[in-house]
Amino acid sequence: MENKIKEIINIVLEKNNKEKIEELNKEASLRDDLGMDSLDLAELTVRIEDEYDIDIFEDGIIDKVGEIIEKISKRGLK
Amino acid sequence: MKLFFHYKDRDITYENLIEDINKTEEINKYIFEKDPYEILKQLITSIINGNKITLLDSDFSKEELKNLEIIESELEKTYKNNNKVENIEDLFNKIEKNKDTWELTLYTSGTTGRPKKVRHNLESLTRGVKVSEKYKNNIWAFAYNPTHFAGLQVFFQAFYNQNPMIYIFDMNRKEVENVLRRYNVTHISATPTFYRTILPYIREVVPSVERATMGGEKYDKNLEAQLLKVFPNADLRNVYASTEAGSIFSAKGDVFSISPRIADKVRFAEDGELLIHKSLLGESDTFQLDEDWYRTGDIVEMIDESHFKFVSRKTEMINIGGYKVNPHEVEDEIKKIDGVVDVIVKARSNRITGNILVAEVKINDGIDKREKEKEITKILEKRLQSWKIPRIFTFVDNIELTRTGKKVRK
Repeated sequence: MENKIKEIINIVLEKNNKEKIEELNKEASLRDDLGMDSLDLAELTVRIEDEYDIDIFEDGIIDKVGEIIEKISKRGLK
Repeated sequence: MKLFFHYKDRDITYENLIEDINKTEEINKYIFEKDPYEILKQLITSIINGNKITLLDSDFSKEELKNLEIIESELEKTYKNNNKVENIEDLFNKIEKNKDTWELTLYTSGTTGRPKKVRHNLESLTRGVKVSEKYKNNIWAFAYNPTHFAGLQVFFQAFYNQNPMIYIFDMNRKEVENVLRRYNVTHISATPTFYRTILPYIREVVPSVERATMGGEKYDKNLEAQLLKVFPNADLRNVYASTEAGSIFSAKGDVFSISPRIADKVRFAEDGELLIHKSLLGESDTFQLDEDWYRTGDIVEMIDESHFKFVSRKTEMINIGGYKVNPHEVEDEIKKIDGVVDVIVKARSNRITGNILVAEVKINDGIDKREKEKEITKILEKRLQSWKIPRIFTFVDNIELTRTGKKVRK
């Protein structure tokens, strides 16, 4: 699952002229470290929803890569 | 020395503003400018001269300007600044004297493909502005694009009360909390999307905020709770405003009330659509009035005679973080690209910006889809403002049509 998340994050970053990530660092901030703006975050949540049928911002605002992984794992999805 | 505007590392006082107005020799007929202070200075200078001017988004592309039917050479045209201002009182006297000939043209995304031109005079722009002793110590965070209607509303409310405005609209999000604290900001008005953008960066409460207003997008109850955590002393409000009519209703929670002042100028059609009397509107040749009533496209539910809730939108306009996009405009640009046979642009909802645009595209056989997606995005970046660019493309064999031949957008 982590590889898939990395792939989705990189699709969003690359398309919007931002630097791709090599490693999935769970502590990384989507906004500060990855440089995502609100449209990038909106695109990310829609792409993750298409893949896992889960809305990562359902219970409020999240900011760390690890929080996405946690949300998906909790649902028992791989 | 009262502060007028804070932008980047500049603190511009009302005295500085007057000096800068006096140094201004020419006023642009079209304000097409990035620097928000420059925009406001030009705007004020045009009012004291009673000029007719147009406000454009600084990121409009050549294609977008062409669609607005603006001729490039017109952008260079200027008026002479014939007025010198002595002090702040004199400034407001000159505004009062020349306001009747002043006119501001704005563009709003039209429902039928081409953007609509809306002309406002000072009266229609400042209808919602309140001036009194009570407001004289307010300190505003400026969190809208100053070329858009909501930004103008904040500007006039603050300016008429000679309040400072702290520009946080495109500020680095990490700095927002510090700036709110440093300037003791008391009032913020922004879209829900803007609040969602800054919230993760506000680590501690900002007690100075007395009022936080949300507008331009769907009401979000969760967001209210989050805002109260960081602005514990704030009174939260929602406003309903449009480029056509200005700021009309405000609400606590999601129930909007109709003030007795305009009660006879608001009506509800049989299907629940909110209608606004033409006397509350700016002027436009392209408004389609139903007798004397303007159809807002908003479907509402009446609670009682003077209260209602918004239920849905009747038009095809898509709200992306407070910016309304006409999907037809985006489709027209995509169709101009080589290899594209047909396209439909739709909304996908999400909790960050309300919606994003997604496009289904039919392309000629044998074209590499991943490459085409990148190419389309690159071309659109040059032609459209960023929020008008679809974020996800899917390639389809056929675009679904309704029986009347209209594209199925849902």
